[in-house]
Amino acid sequence: MKLLNCPMNGLRPLGEFIYGGEYREMPNPNNSSDLEWASYVHYRDNAPGVKKEWWFHSPSGTWFIAERNTLSDEVLNTYLFGKAPFPKNENLSDGKLGDEKNTELSA
Amino acid sequence: MSTINQRPVSNTPIAYGLMSLSPTMGVINGMEVALEFEGALIEGNRKSILGVTDVSCFASFGIKGTEAASWLMSQSIQIPMNRNTWVEHEGYLVLRLGGSEFLIEGQYSEDQYSHEIFEKLARFNQATVAGVYKVQRADAAFILSGSEVLNMLSELCMLDLRDSALASNTLVMTQLASISAILLRHQLNGEQVYRVWCDGTYGAYMWNMLLEVARELGGGAVGLASHFRGTHK
Repeated sequence: MKLLNCPMNGLRPLGEFIYGGEYREMPNPNNSSDLEWASYVHYRDNAPGVKKEWWFHSPSGTWFIAERNTLSDEVLNTYLFGKAPFPKNENLSDGKLGDEKNTELSA
Repeated sequence: MSTINQRPVSNTPIAYGLMSLSPTMGVINGMEVALEFEGALIEGNRKSILGVTDVSCFASFGIKGTEAASWLMSQSIQIPMNRNTWVEHEGYLVLRLGGSEFLIEGQYSEDQYSHEIFEKLARFNQATVAGVYKVQRADAAFILSGSEVLNMLSELCMLDLRDSALASNTLVMTQLASISAILLRHQLNGEQVYRVWCDGTYGAYMWNMLLEVARELGGGAVGLASHFRGTHK
C-alpha cells in the first residue's frame, strides 16, 4: 500500500488523497510579458524530475504541497502552502496517530 | 443538551436505512431517531458485543476561521490546543478539526449548562465577527460499542485504531468504508466506545455498512435508549 504524509494528519493511504496538478510560481500578471504569461498559462514542462505538486487530503479537506520526483515516484517532502518544508521524513510521526510533530497551535 | 418527544422537524440522515427495521422512534432535538429496535435485553447483549447506534440527533455546531479559536474561548468554551484533538466537557464534546475548524457536539444530557452553551452558539452572527465563519453541519453520527468494535474497524478502515496506536484525545479524519469520516474513542457511561461522523448524505450507506459488519460479528443495531436511559419512552 502506498502511503503519503499529510502535513496535518500524518501518514495515510494514498487512496485518501487526490492529485491537484503541478504547482508553479505565477508571474505577476501586471508586470510579466505576454510571452511569460502565455508560457505560464499554456506550457508544461513534462520532463520527469522533482516537481512541486498540489495534493488534497480528502477526509480532512487539507490542500498541501508535495515535492515529488516524478521519475522515481519518491515524495521528498510535504508541507502546507506558504510553510517551510520539513527536511525529508522529519515530519513523519513515530507511528502513533496523533503524535505528528508541530501539533501545538496557538489559540 | 437534549429535549425529547417534541414535534419532529427533521428525519435522521439514516432514516432510509431504518425503514426495514421498524424501530420505536422518538424525537430528540427536533429529529426523529430510533430509540429501540428489539428490546432492552437483546440490545444490551448486542451493545456488549458490537452495537451500532445512530446519534445524529445530538446538537452540533460547526465553526472555522483564523479567529474561531479565540472567539470560542471568548464564549467560555474550552477548546483543544492541538490540532486533531478533542476535549469533553459536561454535556458536550469539542473537536478541533485541523488547525482552525471546530465541531461542538452536545451529548444526551439534561445538563443546563450545555443547553445554555448551544443557545449561545445558535445566536452567533458571523457578520459581526471577523475571521469566524459558521459551518453548517448535517453529519450522520454513530456510537460503536462492544468488544468486537476494533474487528469491525479493521475491516472498514485502513488505519490502526487500537489503544496503543491511537493517542487518547486524538481524533482521526480518515476513510471508513471508503467514505470520509471523523473517528475518536471516548468513554460513555464508563464504557469505551468509538464515535463516527460522516456526511449526512452518506448516512444510510454508512449505517448499512456498519450494520452488515456488526451482524457478521454477532452484534447489530442498538437504539439510543440503550445508551441514554432518559430517552426511554
